[in-house]
Amino acid sequence: MSIRHARLALLGAAGALLCSTLAHAEPYLAVANGYKCSQCHVNPTGGGERTPFGNVFAQTVLPARHLDTGTDVWTGQINRFISLGGDLRFDATAQSVPGTKSSNSFDFQQARVYLEASVIPDRLLVYVDEQVAPGGALNREAWGMFWSADHTWYIKGGQMYLPFGFRLQDQGAFVNISGIYMQTPDNGVEVGWIKGPWDAQLALSNGTAGGPTTTNGKQASAQLQFVQSRWRAGVAANFNDSSDSGNRDAFGIFGGLKTGPIAWLAEADIVNDKSLPVGGGQKQLAALLEGNYSPARGHNLKVTFEYLDPDRDVAHDQQTRWSVLYEYTPIQFVQIRGGARFNDGIPQAPEQHLKVYFVELHGFF
Amino acid sequence: MLKHLPRRLGVPLAAALLAGCAGNGQGLDSNGQPIGPGSAPDKPLTAEFQSIQDNIFTPKCVRCHSGGGAPEGLQLDAAHSYALLVGVPSAEVPALQRVKASDPDSSYLVQKLEGSSGILGERMPRGGPYLPQATIDVIRQWITNGAQQGSPPAAASSAFRLAATSPPHQAVMAAPPAQLLVAFNREVDLSLVNDTTVYLERLTAQGAVRVPGQAAFRLAPGNSAAVLLQPAAPLTSGTYRLTVRGTGPAPLADLNAQALDTDYVSEFTVEAPAP
Repeated sequence: MSIRHARLALLGAAGALLCSTLAHAEPYLAVANGYKCSQCHVNPTGGGERTPFGNVFAQTVLPARHLDTGTDVWTGQINRFISLGGDLRFDATAQSVPGTKSSNSFDFQQARVYLEASVIPDRLLVYVDEQVAPGGALNREAWGMFWSADHTWYIKGGQMYLPFGFRLQDQGAFVNISGIYMQTPDNGVEVGWIKGPWDAQLALSNGTAGGPTTTNGKQASAQLQFVQSRWRAGVAANFNDSSDSGNRDAFGIFGGLKTGPIAWLAEADIVNDKSLPVGGGQKQLAALLEGNYSPARGHNLKVTFEYLDPDRDVAHDQQTRWSVLYEYTPIQFVQIRGGARFNDGIPQAPEQHLKVYFVELHGFF
Repeated sequence: MLKHLPRRLGVPLAAALLAGCAGNGQGLDSNGQPIGPGSAPDKPLTAEFQSIQDNIFTPKCVRCHSGGGAPEGLQLDAAHSYALLVGVPSAEVPALQRVKASDPDSSYLVQKLEGSSGILGERMPRGGPYLPQATIDVIRQWITNGAQQGSPPAAASSAFRLAATSPPHQAVMAAPPAQLLVAFNREVDLSLVNDTTVYLERLTAQGAVRVPGQAAFRLAPGNSAAVLLQPAAPLTSGTYRLTVRGTGPAPLADLNAQALDTDYVSEFTVEAPAP
């Protein structure tokens, strides 16, 4: 069987496996291909274990070269009921801040294992996302999810990442001022509605990001997206009144656009944090504009511009960050990422002028 | 395809450049706060808590570690940080204190900042820039020196008040807490901590009932602003009310005999064990 035929066969098999499950990967891949998050990920809001479609996509569409494995194809499915996945990132990083000695290091960022038990296939599943390294085991997600028969509705309960804008791989992105990213799961319930071009979630959680639970207040998160093959747009909101020192509210708009070989992402978030004791709170604004240019299969040039106003009541304190990354996926499940990030801020704060250069080995399955 | 790249990629990114540039910092201190008549001038980092708060926690940590959603419940703004750091078990590795006075190697804060092999989750600050070792060494020195709070600015004129409790108000605990923490905004006079000024009640349908047995009181290790209460017996399931008295004939007070500004009440619930 030729590689081309093998790819077609794999995609066909994935289509058959897909049924009504949807998936998610890096957001730019969803934008570039016109997918919803759930096209490639078990979690309808993206991130974590890949669906069979996502696994086949990662073997056939993503890499520059597909190493032929014959008829043995990894789909993550151990059997009809159990699926496995994983993610590993190892970095070599150099960083410099004006006035201080440059540093460089090798860092094992993470090894994560995903386990999914489809106890009632296509309807009821239990999912665990466990970070097993570095350090001791750390549970990131553990939830159960029940789909309606037509896969239009679902309800999910447990410890989970909350829906709010793009779920970016870069955990240091300015738009993470929302406080919702892939290191801050929370305990709660989420209801989702996925129909046609619409994709919506509403979640109610403790609002303590893994800290002790409280009935002082709760956190509500909502997101609505409209997804087309070449563009998408969405809005998100988050209200957290779990602290007796004040509420923290966040609002975001986000969208994607495909223009030829370039997939664009844009997001802008505002946060009003009244829990800070100074000045009755702090109003923040963060924005991101990212272009992903794919000159050939397996290659991606990512250029990102970010803007942060850490306190909208204070003038002249804005920060920016430029990132230039190249991602090369030589074969299935292996990616090499390298790039630089350049921060800029007020002259009197050297740490706001951080420069980071890194190379990352990324393995996933 | 490549020849179109500059136009396709360049126009939106140029627009982004025009839309947002870094601030020039005019009129701001090194933490990005306005310099005004009452503001404190920038001071270099020293091995004192207030200096560490002003130079590290406030500018670098509070963006994430604030409010109810602060990761692991650790709020690092000036009003909460000391009370929630010194002598307080870490949420990720409860066997370690976040800051263990006089023992920086056993302080989880230091381990998180240095990215030690025993930590859970990410090295801090998340995503970098990581603190230079020289800066971490200043924190180490503060801990080695006993992790004292010192005197926050204008402390003498501010009210003596409660900063935090653990479990926090309205917490719902799956398991009974081994000890309770009551943290203040400055050092408390331990001789005034007794079952009249600090007491725990179990709320029942018949009303509030004092928890039987004597609770042991002690200062959190190395933190004279926080008191640990050790119940005489494990708490059973139910709702509890912790009262800290700032009124009455013998109110709780700080080391300057300034009474707590008011009475404080904090409630929490211990859930029944799963069958």
